[in-house]
Amino acid sequence: MTDQDKAGPVGAGDAGTGRGEHGMTRRQLIRHSAWFGAAVALTFTGGKVISRVAGDGAGRTPVNTSELQFVQVGDSHLGFTGTANTDVTATFATAINQVNSLGYTPDFVMHTGDITHLSTAAEFGLAREMMSDLRTPRVFTVPGEHDAINDGGKAYRKFFGAQTLGTGWFSFDIKGVHVISLVNTTSVDALGHLGPDQLDFVRRDVAGLSSETPILVFSHIPLFAMYPLWGWSTDDAVKLLAMLRRFGSVTCLNGHVHQLFTKTDGNVTFHSAAPTCYPLPAPGHGPAPLPVTLPAGQLTSALGVRTVTFQAGTKSLAITDERLA
Amino acid sequence: MRPGVLTAVRLLTAAATAGTGFVHADLYVDGGYRVIPIIGPAFLVLSSGAFAVAALLLAGSSPVLRLGAVGVAAGALGGFIMSRTVGVAGFTEHGLQPAPQALISLITEIAALALVVAWEVMLRRPRAVSALAAASS
Repeated sequence: MTDQDKAGPVGAGDAGTGRGEHGMTRRQLIRHSAWFGAAVALTFTGGKVISRVAGDGAGRTPVNTSELQFVQVGDSHLGFTGTANTDVTATFATAINQVNSLGYTPDFVMHTGDITHLSTAAEFGLAREMMSDLRTPRVFTVPGEHDAINDGGKAYRKFFGAQTLGTGWFSFDIKGVHVISLVNTTSVDALGHLGPDQLDFVRRDVAGLSSETPILVFSHIPLFAMYPLWGWSTDDAVKLLAMLRRFGSVTCLNGHVHQLFTKTDGNVTFHSAAPTCYPLPAPGHGPAPLPVTLPAGQLTSALGVRTVTFQAGTKSLAITDERLA
Repeated sequence: MRPGVLTAVRLLTAAATAGTGFVHADLYVDGGYRVIPIIGPAFLVLSSGAFAVAALLLAGSSPVLRLGAVGVAAGALGGFIMSRTVGVAGFTEHGLQPAPQALISLITEIAALALVVAWEVMLRRPRAVSALAAASS
């Protein structure tokens, strides 16, 4: 069969084969249907093969089930309006898409605060709805000071405070790691503040733990003195860290400062995360920590999500900060 | 029109369509796209459809297959443009990311569209000549 034959030009003998009203013979109709059917059948078969190669169904679980894999997102500031980011909802949605396209299912996703910009019910509702799209078994949150405007965090706890203690703190164990999530934003004066109730909670919480247990601490405001002049520190964090000195590995992850920053202090490593909303100036660069408007097209380079992996038996967590795609 | 030229165009169209299918299958399998709502299933359908059309183009040149090749290329190209502008079901990407797959896919899609257009032109030319001859006789 030649290409011209297969192309199905109208032949002289078509009159005798039952030409339809649209100029197609029965033979041509049958031929087209056969090709169409073959294409559909092959598409279906190919889809099954590709799905099998991709390992769908099992592909979204971690490759190594003993490995803890989680994601930190933060500072979404839903409700913010300004030139620094004209659509914080879109950039947060992009961050969620990025988490969902990691290629594995993180054990949990932690939002490290400033979920909203003004603590309104509408903003909290939108945040909860958006985060329900995260493909992970568990989503945890820490309140930022923007989540506790005027009400000390009551609205935040209404939306995200289930199964937490005090103003929203909690702890849990997962794959050999002890996770402590702290609130240092509901009674902010100049600096972050934990308060005696929360410090007592931590004291009791870690009392029965072996010193070999890796400790992971989440907070919104840094637990180290990143830049106290701008409030980028927690006034009573020293008491907390004193309780954690006996542990071999302590990792503190925070938001608030809208930029990547890492500091090591003995057994404790601090990591500040990138936001999903807008950047703030580097410490001391400028009169105040006000939103920075970047040139067009550069915003997403200052935003990001953080993936963290912890392999049992190792001392430190593997942290990867990815720019927002 | 020499049949050899048509055969070459047909095989090149098959190759371009298979290329589009391979890029999308690769992104689906290893690129993490399969977990993205709507986008993942769309990549699966597009890649398997592309492979099917490419395989059948090796055996024949039905108008159904040319239409299929155009559908695969235009669908992928449309999705690419939408994902960089208005978004596809809330999914957005930027520029030629992921690299190099985005660029390869663009090239194969545009090539497939151009090849099918050229193919159609070559097929219609003799018919137009025949029609003119018939009308003048």
